[in-house]
Amino acid sequence: MTRVQAGPWAVAILAGVAMAAATVLDESALSVYVLLALTASVTVGVTLLMGHAGQVSLGHGAFYAAGAYAAGLLAKHGFPSWIALLVAPIAAAGLAAAVGIPLLVLRGHHLAFATLALHLIFLSLISELSITGGDVGLQAIPPLSFAGVTLSSVRSYAYLSAGALVLVVVLARNLLVSRPGRALRALSSSEVAAASSGVAVGYYKLAVFALSAGFAGLAGGIYAFYMGYLAPGSFPVMLSIEYIVMAAVGGLGKVSGAVAGSALVFLLVHGLSRVSTLSGMPGTAPIILSYAVYAVLLVSAVLFLPGGLVALLLSRWERPSPRSQRPAPPPSEAKPSDPATEGVTSKHGSFS
Amino acid sequence: MIQVESLSVQYGAATALDGVSLSVRAGEKVALIGANGAGKSTLLNALSGIVAKKAGTIRIDGRWAHVPEGRQLFPELSVDDNLRLGAFRVSDRNPAWIYEILPELARLRRQRAGSLSGGQQQMVAIGRGLMARPDVLAIDEMSLGLAPIIVQQLAAQLMRLNSERGLALLLVEQSARLALSLCDRAYVLETGRVVAQGAAAELLDSPFVERAYLGGPLEASP
Amino acid sequence: MNAFFSYLVHGISVGCGFALVASGIIIVYRVTRVVNLAQGMFSVVAGFAAATLLGVGLPHGVAELAAIATAALVGFLTGCVAIGKPGTNPQASLIATLGVGVFAYAVEVLTWGDQPRSFSGLSGSYDLWGIDVPKQYLLITLVTLVVFGALEAFFERTYAGKALSACASNPYAARLQGIGVVRMGLYGFALGGALGGVAGVLLTPVQPISYDSDVPLFVNGFASAILAGLKRPVLGLLGGLVLGIAESMVAGYAKASYQSSLALLLTLAILIVQATRREALHAVEE
Repeated sequence: MTRVQAGPWAVAILAGVAMAAATVLDESALSVYVLLALTASVTVGVTLLMGHAGQVSLGHGAFYAAGAYAAGLLAKHGFPSWIALLVAPIAAAGLAAAVGIPLLVLRGHHLAFATLALHLIFLSLISELSITGGDVGLQAIPPLSFAGVTLSSVRSYAYLSAGALVLVVVLARNLLVSRPGRALRALSSSEVAAASSGVAVGYYKLAVFALSAGFAGLAGGIYAFYMGYLAPGSFPVMLSIEYIVMAAVGGLGKVSGAVAGSALVFLLVHGLSRVSTLSGMPGTAPIILSYAVYAVLLVSAVLFLPGGLVALLLSRWERPSPRSQRPAPPPSEAKPSDPATEGVTSKHGSFS
Repeated sequence: MIQVESLSVQYGAATALDGVSLSVRAGEKVALIGANGAGKSTLLNALSGIVAKKAGTIRIDGRWAHVPEGRQLFPELSVDDNLRLGAFRVSDRNPAWIYEILPELARLRRQRAGSLSGGQQQMVAIGRGLMARPDVLAIDEMSLGLAPIIVQQLAAQLMRLNSERGLALLLVEQSARLALSLCDRAYVLETGRVVAQGAAAELLDSPFVERAYLGGPLEASP
Repeated sequence: MNAFFSYLVHGISVGCGFALVASGIIIVYRVTRVVNLAQGMFSVVAGFAAATLLGVGLPHGVAELAAIATAALVGFLTGCVAIGKPGTNPQASLIATLGVGVFAYAVEVLTWGDQPRSFSGLSGSYDLWGIDVPKQYLLITLVTLVVFGALEAFFERTYAGKALSACASNPYAARLQGIGVVRMGLYGFALGGALGGVAGVLLTPVQPISYDSDVPLFVNGFASAILAGLKRPVLGLLGGLVLGIAESMVAGYAKASYQSSLALLLTLAILIVQATRREALHAVEE
């Protein structure tokens, strides 16, 4: 789980492929592309959070929404759209930092619940406040423009969201290979060990939380301009769960996995919903299929493929490396005070 | 009664036990001594089926009970409940006979197990183990954290149980002197291997055991 | 004044529903250390099942019991997914229960569609000391009290209940006594399913349910469980009542749409205070 990410050439390939796709794909495919790139950007943050800081975030959709609403509100109130876009990730990160200070005292399932609560409270707020347009939301958000150039075509947003994704990936990778990043990876295996070796655990957890929120906020900001309108209904709790599925499928903690997982799940669900809207299928077929797919993928990933799909694929391509990743007797069975089991790394560390 | 042959246990990449062989015959008192981390508790856990073995065989004829290190009671439940739960595997769940053997527990029967002193808790733990009507009782680090006089009392009880009811004992101890003085035979475990075994009296005299586990040559007994 | 009492009555019965969900969460948590995110789903399944069975002509009482049994089965299956695989840590189990809940969405929409459903409960109301108490509310309260009485008796007086508590208290020691911790965990999940089912069949006549009703149920149930300290299931009753009444008052006197946020904020506040106190304690110990 703490293997170093694929090298910088992987990022270059990603950038190349992403830009090529944005150039080559046709309009209808591009609309899927934009949403996929935005989703992947959020998922990178979620996977960092879950894989390295050990925090399950059931509410990342709230940061996506926060970025979107921040950008939309500023644009509608006369601010230059590119400033609004820059503010989006800052607003989301700021929100995360603000709620993170009290929230990150919590651990494990309490924190998971708190993030869910966060999303629900946020939804409740934007549905009530008149400034955010209540249930109806914000309409007629002006399109993005910078130095006289207005982004109005789907293709332009495709380039923009691809660029954002590449940026997010680069930032995430830089974080992981930096000194704070190594501290983070120490965190994921044992918070106690990390704390005792002088790592400022609380600070790093907050930093990752805010950073991942920033990624989501950036994506949300682009979303606001791309769609031109926002409503609370665009950001249901299910959205947060989708990010978790994608992160889990790709392998928690792996940036490349986040991108791959997002692509896989997104395209799978999209394809299935195309199939299910064919004539003859009941109207509810799309939701049924998408829920079923999310569920099966999530459970399979979390129970059987903790390394995610990426690990599975890599293991086929590379020479078989020792697969002794999990300790033989489950740590939950060994006595807590048994000195003989001291050397066993346990994912329990960050989940007390 | 208990026959362990070439047992090996792994924790991930680390070898906890390496080719350990051990036996306990009916009515015997066997000591298992060794330093912290030598694998003594792992051996007991393997016998209890808690950890999986990588190689070797374990044969247990008759009933086996394991009193774990650190008492490990159910703290919110009463002494009485703790005892009754010890009889989960057997049909007779009445702890009356335990109260006869360990009368101090009778006084404490309704108390929350978590509120008792260390010595009392150890008594409950032993009582809980006995409730399973074992033929062999293994006790892990009985003396840890207990005052010597309490340990004496507990040891006396165990000796009585052994002589009157033929209860075989497997005593796992860091305190080698205590274990060797109580038992007939002993094994010395070091980093997962049996490095010495034999009659307890002989081991008590062996200079190797003396140096490593008894803190220097025996002086004139106090 | 009448308004106050009618809010109170409403709050009590809603609170009972929360309490039942809370007790399911507490039991599963205590025995397996897993927070079951699918707990609300058990109520939804039971409500739907009861509606269907009543619709095909099964009499009241029988239909509800069958629905509760269904929910217990669903609980058991959820447990199989969450803890059936040896070596699953609590975080993975948590996410697995999330997955089960989402899968249940698919099944529910497939079987019952995406529209809200209800069925009729007891109609009419009693006049108790000048307060108008709908009969269904009375039923909810009575059944809840009976269920909690049974739960208390089960955990405090029966050997099986003690064995379950033992698993919750010290899984290692429980295993040494021969208590199968996984099996007990599955029983815990089944029991949680049944309790959720009771909540479902009691509440659906009052508030139509749809496939996404599990989220507010879970949120309120978990909030009640937290208020009760996640310890003894019986305390869930207190937590549920407090929360139910508080929400009802907020809905009545302030704005209805704020009631769920109230539950959430209250829960968060308590969790954070508890965690901060624990950290301070640890700091002192060091």
